[in-house]
Amino acid sequence: MLQSAPAEGKYFDGKSARQLPVGVFAEQRHGSQVLVIQAVNAAEIIWPLEELREVREQARGEGIVLKLGQDGIARLILLHKDAAEFVRTAAPNLGKVRVQKSKLRQLAVWSGGAVASVALIMFVILPALSNQLATMIPVEREAAIGDAAMSQIHTFLGGSDEKDLTCTNPDGLLALQKMTTRIVGDTEIPYDLQVKVYKHEMINAFAVPGGNVVLFEGLLDAARTPEEVAGVLGHEVGHVVNRDPMRLTLRSAGSVGILGMVFGDFAGGFMALALTERLISAQYAQDAESGADEFAHELLADAGLPAASFAEFFVTLEDKHGDQKGLMSHLASHPDLEGRAAAAVAADVVGDATYEPVLTPAEWRALQKICD
Amino acid sequence: MSSDFSNDPFARLHQTDTRVAAASSPPMDLEYRGEQGPLFWLALKTAVLTLITLGFYRFWAKTRIRKYFWSATAPGGDPMEYTGNGLEKLLGFLIAVAFLAIYLGLFQVLLSFVGMSVLSGGDGPEARAMQLLLGQATLLAVIPFIFYAQYRARRYILSRTRWRGVRFGVDAAAWGYVWRAIAHSIITILSLGLLLPRQTFWLEKYKIDRTWYGNTKFVQGGKWTSLYPAMKHYFIAAALIVVPGLLVLLQEQYVWLFFTFIGAAWFYYAFAYYRVECFRILGDQKRLGERVGFITAPRAAKVFWTYVLGALLASTCAGLVFSAFSLIASNLMGLSTLDLLAQGDQLFDPDNLSTAFYFGVGLFVIGYIAMLLSYGVFGIIFVSQPVLEHYVVETKILNSEALDDIQQRSRDEMVEAEGFADALDVGAAI
Repeated sequence: MLQSAPAEGKYFDGKSARQLPVGVFAEQRHGSQVLVIQAVNAAEIIWPLEELREVREQARGEGIVLKLGQDGIARLILLHKDAAEFVRTAAPNLGKVRVQKSKLRQLAVWSGGAVASVALIMFVILPALSNQLATMIPVEREAAIGDAAMSQIHTFLGGSDEKDLTCTNPDGLLALQKMTTRIVGDTEIPYDLQVKVYKHEMINAFAVPGGNVVLFEGLLDAARTPEEVAGVLGHEVGHVVNRDPMRLTLRSAGSVGILGMVFGDFAGGFMALALTERLISAQYAQDAESGADEFAHELLADAGLPAASFAEFFVTLEDKHGDQKGLMSHLASHPDLEGRAAAAVAADVVGDATYEPVLTPAEWRALQKICD
Repeated sequence: MSSDFSNDPFARLHQTDTRVAAASSPPMDLEYRGEQGPLFWLALKTAVLTLITLGFYRFWAKTRIRKYFWSATAPGGDPMEYTGNGLEKLLGFLIAVAFLAIYLGLFQVLLSFVGMSVLSGGDGPEARAMQLLLGQATLLAVIPFIFYAQYRARRYILSRTRWRGVRFGVDAAAWGYVWRAIAHSIITILSLGLLLPRQTFWLEKYKIDRTWYGNTKFVQGGKWTSLYPAMKHYFIAAALIVVPGLLVLLQEQYVWLFFTFIGAAWFYYAFAYYRVECFRILGDQKRLGERVGFITAPRAAKVFWTYVLGALLASTCAGLVFSAFSLIASNLMGLSTLDLLAQGDQLFDPDNLSTAFYFGVGLFVIGYIAMLLSYGVFGIIFVSQPVLEHYVVETKILNSEALDDIQQRSRDEMVEAEGFADALDVGAAI
């Protein structure tokens, strides 16, 4: 085939939609192998074998679709298997693809443009805008959002409502009140600050928008001195004053949309999106935690209390529960405990000097028994 | 190839010449040549590559699937060709991201700010309604971009489509489409859907009248009222809901609710029926140049059941894939957990969980991804291909000899490709 007798083919010249039935044979011309394409009553068309390219991903594989060079417009369809096989063995460059330099340059430019645009919005505009907008949300709206968050937290803690969880021992409440007054001092807080203790073994504390701060009983049990608790309280008040939940929610609302666009909806795309968003928001959450720590340091200093005891609490936590280091610390929303302890020690203004304890030993016992 | 093709390559030529001389020829059939096996492997290969490249390969994946579908479609035995490539599609996507990232980011932050400032944040029905409304507001802001993206995507795809070596093309007129589409949508909504045929017809006419094959323009003929028969099943579904609903209210006989449910299900069929019938009615009224016409005869029931049964089959297959993974995973986890049960409440201490347990968890995750992935792959061979095949083989071209006079058109560069559609995820189904 092709050498002995012409092979059947169809030729489309790329100029009109006319179909030309042709006979195709292979020949040696001027020292190189060529395909001679012959239509009736027409001049022969010469395609050198080494310039042939195959049009791939064809539905039915028996024949072969050819073009001349990568950007050739004309098409030659050889209909039969043996002709296709001949071309596949004899033509050396059927699959050769040359990517234009200009395309690659465009790709580099626009990759840069897209990355710059996404980075600009995600790391500059969104955080700045969220910080600004968070201060513009009316306080009563924040409180309402906080209430909704609280009811979700109650469900999460076991379905009971606020009354069942809140600890109400009167002496303990008095001690808590005293601690709050001391730690807040003269600092102006634009919210109705409400500090509570929940009966739950978790060693944790949290703040919701609008001024609710909650300490867990487990945290009171784990702390060795009232100053440690005062430090944690100052930290949570810092979250409230910095409006961290609002800022982070606003920022994340913007970046989820952008990431969704970048990853598209392939299988597993949602996971890639969720993981990336987690990494980014953990970074911002860590910044927020550091900010709240600094706020706590200031409150402690203003109240004449040693920030070093706040540091001790982190050391206690680390001894008890270990720390997440390495890769995990990027995913965690809190900075590593050692670093926080070091920062607290550095911020200490009391040092070895004596200070007025935040609670008397009796009050401290009462606070620890607030849930009994 | 067709059977009248003898071994002498020149025999056909003389036949063709006499046909051209004749006033008209028999209608040209469209062949469909796709097969399930090769397409399955192509779809699987490209889906896996997409997964392991974190989605970057999706531009090449879509391009390769399109090349297959196009080459499977062969009017008069000559396959279509899709000449797009993944690289230009990626480039278009990057351009769209560069423009859209800032707009979308700003927009969503401002919207959630409005949400937080206005909403009470409570659980009450009013708060819910407001949230819903705000969700719709997001959609409203991207709607113009969606119409824009859809027109551009169609222009890109057709500019990369060839048949008999000649390019298709679409005029650059996306913004004209955007405002018309918005205006028609508003009119349709205000008329409670009664003017839907008007929207369908005029938007189709706008697109078709700007579509070319080579140097020859398509024309959409006909009138919009001729689409009303396609609305038939919408009316039936609406009647099935409204009439029993009224009876429930008047007679307090709740058995009538049964018909209301049927009516709701009927809407799905009505949707398919409308689309297929519109394709048929409008297809018969399309012309290419002065003489070339079309006969289209797709059947709504066929398309509908292909969708339903194909999706069912695809999800069954995907479910089987997941089952296989989770069977192995739960075996791994089950065995190792039993070992731990002896140690009582130390079960959930992370230190005590064996590597086999974590391996099992990992296998579950992989199984889940494999399920999503294989649903896409099975969907292509059980839904996309059979539906496309049905439309293709039920179409015929009239006066096809006039096609021989059509000349090539110049290339539409379109650097932005269909990037906006990719970014907004509103591209064509294939």
